[in-house]
Amino acid sequence: MILFFLISGLFLGWSLGANDASNVFGSAVGSKMITFRKAAVIASVFVILGAVIQGAGASNTLGKLGSVNAIGGSFTVALAAAVTVYMMTRLSLPVSTTQAIVGAIIGWNLFTGNRTDVATLTTIVSTWITGPILGAIFAVLLYMVIRRIKRRSGIHLIIFESYIKTGLIIVGAFGAYSLGANNIANVMGVFVPAFSLEDLNLGIFTLSSARQLFLLGGLAIAAGIITYSKKVMETVGTGIVSLSSEAAFVVVLSQALVLFIFSSSFLSDLLSRAGLPRIPLVPVSSTQVIVGSVIGIGLYKGVRNLNFRILGEIATGWISTPVIAGILSFFSLFFVRNIFNIDIGTKIHDAGPAENLSKPWNISEVMKYVILAIIAAGLIMVIYYYLLEKKKETEFRRSEERFWKYFK
Amino acid sequence: MSVFNRNSKRTIVKIDEFIDTIDLGILVFREGIRSYIKGDLEAFSTHLNKVDQLEAIADRLQREIENEMITYSILPQHREDVVKLIEELDEIMDGIKSSMYEFDIEIPEIPASLHEIMINLNEASANAAEELLPAVRAYFRAPHTVREKLLKVYYFESETDKIAYRIKRKIFHEMHDIDLAHKAHMRYIIHHIEKISDLAQTGADLLSAMSVKLII
Repeated sequence: MILFFLISGLFLGWSLGANDASNVFGSAVGSKMITFRKAAVIASVFVILGAVIQGAGASNTLGKLGSVNAIGGSFTVALAAAVTVYMMTRLSLPVSTTQAIVGAIIGWNLFTGNRTDVATLTTIVSTWITGPILGAIFAVLLYMVIRRIKRRSGIHLIIFESYIKTGLIIVGAFGAYSLGANNIANVMGVFVPAFSLEDLNLGIFTLSSARQLFLLGGLAIAAGIITYSKKVMETVGTGIVSLSSEAAFVVVLSQALVLFIFSSSFLSDLLSRAGLPRIPLVPVSSTQVIVGSVIGIGLYKGVRNLNFRILGEIATGWISTPVIAGILSFFSLFFVRNIFNIDIGTKIHDAGPAENLSKPWNISEVMKYVILAIIAAGLIMVIYYYLLEKKKETEFRRSEERFWKYFK
Repeated sequence: MSVFNRNSKRTIVKIDEFIDTIDLGILVFREGIRSYIKGDLEAFSTHLNKVDQLEAIADRLQREIENEMITYSILPQHREDVVKLIEELDEIMDGIKSSMYEFDIEIPEIPASLHEIMINLNEASANAAEELLPAVRAYFRAPHTVREKLLKVYYFESETDKIAYRIKRKIFHEMHDIDLAHKAHMRYIIHHIEKISDLAQTGADLLSAMSVKLII
């Protein structure tokens, strides 16, 4: 039953993986700098790591916006967000998972009579604007530095491109980590208050209830990357790469930095200790940060005919996505409660402690095997790729030798 | 980082080796044609053999570079352009070889009054091709300097055209002592020397567009 309620969140995670992984590795795969398989493996591993290690910060902020305190409610809220994302993607409209989940949570607040924390909402909405702007600023600064280094060093184009290729893999891994850390809140954030699983002791470290959920969400995102992101990467990626390889590198790096900043509690604490205002730990839309970065580079290079249609689409997305998700969430909650008679949550002050849902099923035991399976699969993949590379090299050498033998 | 760059470095070495081979080919062409005009057929024959070897080396390197660029996904964004540029350079090498073979097969008789101007034509044509190579090297390390380097290619190509025009005019308007067949043959031979600078210009046009793509 628990897994059934998680399905909507996992679906949301899957669609996030399928769509947003292209922001991280699209440029590298689209330009054929690395193969899709390599990109998918790296992105999957780092998304899971980011979600488990650093996913709590942004998730707590979403919890402040609306603490969905019943799994029926979490299921419905995540489903409403997932359906909104799916519908808008099908209609080729710009969509952000972050905005959909925020709208859906507000829908839950309205339905259950909970008050929406205006301060938290303002913080979240403000990052929708500051995210792309920060992305643009980072992109311009990084682009300036890279161009200057390239020009002054007189580096060979092939060596420079090989550094960019390696850089894209490293930055892609960092981007995937940041994506997992920041956007896991969208996928599993609404389930955190409603779930209370037993801590999972793995010997070296312990996974709390929230982290176990983040691990599952991370796996769903990874499944989305592996099963469905290839096409998106190949189409979206070429769009980004049409700038240049260094611009693609800069765009991915600036996006990763923005996502990292908005999910790093360490940075936020550091600023707070220095007497500066804290960075809000909020899930931000990776697509919009990417668009912001691309526009930043375009402005730096002196592009005069800025595409106002894209800017208009982003602004429309800010309004339409949460509104649609909110309405859908509100009406879905009505049906789930009144027709299926499922508890979708109550006003926070009436709510008792969350039910410990790990009792009927020992989820922790299952998780142990899941983690072992992931580690084993990872090792097998590494060995497989090593052997594949070796085989390719030998075949190439043999083909050359055969050709010249024949030629002589 | 060296592990990642192993294939890239090998390709760079091969590209440099390829450009050096073309450079040497142009040098041999210059000397070969000069020795033919001066009547030193033995030296011409040695140069012809050398060009033959250099052309084979250039072909092998061209194939290897193309293969490596595709296999190891080197320079994926500019690969098509670089491969095309290498093909254009190889065309120059092929042009050199075919021109020298034309001399070897047809043994054109060049009137003594044309010797000096024919050497000038040969020099200008070879210079045009030679000046393309620093620009090709600059494309990989300092693309913003490519266009200024290409100016010399265009200058020498234009010089070649002017000299060729002067020679043809002289042959057909002033040299009444040679028959029409000989005149037509001379025109054909001039065209073969001139062709090298035309090929250099084609390469320069491509390189110019490629460098703009890198700069913007």
